[in-house]
Amino acid sequence: MRQSTLPRAARPRPAARGRARFGRSAWVQRRDRRGIWFVVPFLVGFALFMVVPLGYAIYTSLYTYRIIGGTSFTGASNYTQTLESGQFWSGVIRVTIFAAIQIPVMLAIAFFFATVFDLGVARFGTAFRTIFFIPFAVPAVVGAVMWSFLLEPQFGPFVHLANALGFGGTNFFSPSLLLPTIIVIVIWEWTGYNMMILYTALKSVPRDVVEAAILDDTPLWKIIVRIKLPMVRPAIVMLVFLNTIGALQLFTEPQILSYFEQGAVSLNYTPSVYIYNTAIAADETNLAAAMAVILAVIIVVISGLSFIFRRQRGELR
Amino acid sequence: MTRIDAQPAGAAGAESRRQRRKRRRDAQREAEIPVELYGLPRGTVPFLTSLAFLFAIFTLIPIAWLVINSTKTQANIFETFGFWFARPFDFFHTFSLLFQNVDGYGTFIQWFGNTALYAVVGGVGATALAAFAGYGLARFRFRGSQLAFYLIIAALLVPVTALTVPLYLAYAKAHLINSIWGMVLPSMVSPIGVYLMRTYADISVPRELIDAARIDGAGEARIFFRVALPLMVPGVVTVLLISVVAVWNNYFLPLLIFNINTKYPLTVGLGLWSDRAVNSGDADLYPMLVMGGLVTIIPLIVLFLVLQRYWRGGMLLGSIAN
Amino acid sequence: MSAAIGLEDLTKVYASGVTAVDGLSLEVGDGEFVVLVGPSGCGKTTALRMVAGLESVTAGTVRLGGRTVNDVSPRQRDIAMVFQNYALYPHLTVGENIGFALANKGVPKAERQRRVRAAAATLGLADLLGRKPRQLSGGQRQRVAMGRAIVREPAVFLMDEPLSNLDAKLRVQMRAEILRVHQAIGSATLYVTHDQVEAMTMGDRIAVLHGGRLQQYGSPRELFARPANLFVARFIGSPEMNLYEAALDPSGRLTLGSQRLDLGPLPAYLAPAAGPGGRRVIVGVRPSDLTLGDGAGDGDAHGRAGGSGGSGGSGSGGDAAGGWGGSRTLTADVRVVEPLGSELHAIFSIDAPAAGGRELTAAEDAEDLLPGLAYNGLARLGPRAMVRPGDRVTFRVEASRLHFFDPDTGEAMGRQADRSGATTPVVS
Repeated sequence: MRQSTLPRAARPRPAARGRARFGRSAWVQRRDRRGIWFVVPFLVGFALFMVVPLGYAIYTSLYTYRIIGGTSFTGASNYTQTLESGQFWSGVIRVTIFAAIQIPVMLAIAFFFATVFDLGVARFGTAFRTIFFIPFAVPAVVGAVMWSFLLEPQFGPFVHLANALGFGGTNFFSPSLLLPTIIVIVIWEWTGYNMMILYTALKSVPRDVVEAAILDDTPLWKIIVRIKLPMVRPAIVMLVFLNTIGALQLFTEPQILSYFEQGAVSLNYTPSVYIYNTAIAADETNLAAAMAVILAVIIVVISGLSFIFRRQRGELR
Repeated sequence: MTRIDAQPAGAAGAESRRQRRKRRRDAQREAEIPVELYGLPRGTVPFLTSLAFLFAIFTLIPIAWLVINSTKTQANIFETFGFWFARPFDFFHTFSLLFQNVDGYGTFIQWFGNTALYAVVGGVGATALAAFAGYGLARFRFRGSQLAFYLIIAALLVPVTALTVPLYLAYAKAHLINSIWGMVLPSMVSPIGVYLMRTYADISVPRELIDAARIDGAGEARIFFRVALPLMVPGVVTVLLISVVAVWNNYFLPLLIFNINTKYPLTVGLGLWSDRAVNSGDADLYPMLVMGGLVTIIPLIVLFLVLQRYWRGGMLLGSIAN
Repeated sequence: MSAAIGLEDLTKVYASGVTAVDGLSLEVGDGEFVVLVGPSGCGKTTALRMVAGLESVTAGTVRLGGRTVNDVSPRQRDIAMVFQNYALYPHLTVGENIGFALANKGVPKAERQRRVRAAAATLGLADLLGRKPRQLSGGQRQRVAMGRAIVREPAVFLMDEPLSNLDAKLRVQMRAEILRVHQAIGSATLYVTHDQVEAMTMGDRIAVLHGGRLQQYGSPRELFARPANLFVARFIGSPEMNLYEAALDPSGRLTLGSQRLDLGPLPAYLAPAAGPGGRRVIVGVRPSDLTLGDGAGDGDAHGRAGGSGGSGGSGSGGDAAGGWGGSRTLTADVRVVEPLGSELHAIFSIDAPAAGGRELTAAEDAEDLLPGLAYNGLARLGPRAMVRPGDRVTFRVEASRLHFFDPDTGEAMGRQADRSGATTPVVS
């Protein structure tokens, strides 16, 4: 043979000098450390604009400003005040209900259309997908303005439509209809985006697995539910996660609607609205800081929980 | 044995545009599993197409309304049928108002410029920082890189609203209210951008290529700009798009940190007009509000349509398989 | 009785204009194991997928068990397929994967479990029924894919390069596995591969495809001993057949470069129409058909008896004891010697131009740059053959083992057309 025939062990090993703890040479470690510089700019920004404000929020929340006596350390009193506030909790409950309804409905619609376009069982798929995605390019403010006009209690076209259909005197901003209205608006804004993500996830399902299912004479519903759906579950989990975080912070839509129909949207309608009003309108910045921290904790807990919950369910299946 | 040709003899190059488009569509359809194999009953495709059509109508209604009513006077907006035009055709007059500071409520065109500035600088900055950080985390194994990554993911959990109020408070203390940098700099910190860029760098930049460049004597910065970045372009475009859109659409942050309307971006400005139009009874604002809304959304929609081919929806998944 | 699979003039043209399969006709009998082999892009997978119903047919017919199935959905064709990447359902267990089709048909649970367990037992998967695909090795996944196919007891099996993703050792093992299962089950099988070794060792009959067209369809023996054209001659058999441009004149003299071999009076099918200089031919000789001619060393490793007429004389242009056949000698310069243990490869050069075969041509071009290193032939000799690089040796070859091809069409000269299909000549 033209190769060396020495047994493996007899061949000389590469020099073992300069090996650090993790089995990598010193040069490699030094080189890798240079990578820190790539991350530093972001980390600086991160520290300045995320960590510091959070810290400052916690700091501020421990103080209270009174006209007499100025700012003084009050410890947890802002927190107790918020946690005992019925108004705060009613806002929290409201956004929770909002999320619990809006997210499943929106994801169902998004998944439905994503599947339809992925399978190609509707025509003009590309055109439709582009159209559905357009609301993503519309700022929430503009979306809220558009829908406010459309649903305007006296002159809005949809009100005329409702009257024509026999639902005389519908007020989309009435206490009973306001939340459903906001749900519809948010679904309008976000379905396209979620659909695109699910569509891309579905497209990454290997073609031959579906072909194998076809050869096994699998009905379409089974292909979707038992083969494709499990394979896009990670994308769905991420979407639930992101959507939940967004939904619990609902601010823009109620805020804009409050301009159009003042009185319909209470000052504490959602926690974020309440925080805004507390900080700006009422100028109680310390209290607002405490509320912001509590809101942050609630969101971390809820979204973290839903994340773990879904993971557990996945393991059990 | 007969030979089947895809094109009739003698038609070389003389294919009409319609034939070419049909051929491209057929090729696209061939790349997917044929619908017949799913065994669906006859009317399914038309039925599903009509459902998609209905949702498309739902999606376009507000935009159509906006387009149509931007041509109307204030009175007509409320009094005429919402989905068709009416005389007088006031489009150009209303459009010109966008360039003026009407009743002291702010100049639209200035807001437009502000938004463009914030969005471009903030978006580009966010993308640059994310690209650097993503590359660094993906291709260098320094101590703490894993930890840093988890920290960034955790940052996604922290709600934006919770951060913005303290930011406002900090600015107030540091006299940074109404500062452009106060708007732009926080926008450059995009944890999700870093997450996406790291995932994309992981997929698209082979380690061997970097090692080869190192052996060739290139410095790390040179490697990043000449070797890695070109490979990361689709990811960069996606993150750029998301970042620009995020800043363009941002409402809460500028609402808090700006209180002079010359600095407002479009979102806050339009919010102001909404408030003033309804509550101060200044009727001139209604058509301007509608027109303003229309002008606000057009650039982004155009941007999307133009950049469609670079859009990597898959990037948004961040390679969930990770 | 109708064949298990019948393809008639099967053609597939894509929207882009590419013709993937061109007029393929062949039949697979009941219980037969037929291999579709060819280089990548030759249309074999497309043809298989048309049989499965996963690709639409542009022209021609697919018949299964005598029934034309062009318009029949793959769900109703009573076929099972093993995919190259196994295509297992990732979120189902091995047991659920195998039993999936049965569940779709509504087979009751007890019966389903029985059949799944039987299939698993056949393939040695009994312990793995509860695992998920991601927990299995490549070979195990492949067996699950097979289990999924056999549990359905279909009339026809289709396999699309099932061994391509396995490492070499595993591939050899699984080859035997597949054959064993085939013998146990006995259904007709159409097997696609690009590996000619797999084709030769597994197939009852082999169909060689190139550029979408059938080159030859026959048993491994036939393809090896009587290739229908240059493509088959080169594709089948490893190392490749040695091919040279030569001239054959009516008296049976073969002019190979500066050497002349008198082969005796030509059989009718080689009777030339050509003129005085001799008819141009391409002559081929398999590396295993060359032996060391002057008695040096151990001769060849195959221990064959000589051809008709016994051993011929030594020296160039030796004669036979009358008639066509008998061994002739060929002088060559050995360039490289590769001892492989069980045999020895002598890589040599003769001064006749090599025909086709890109690697050989390139090596010939090298003669200008690196004189003395170019080569255009290979001989398989016994392990103790005494040859060294630089030797000038004399090979013996039986005239009956020479293959002749038309230089313009690439077709083998004078064969009975046994290719069951392609009538268009293949240009080499």
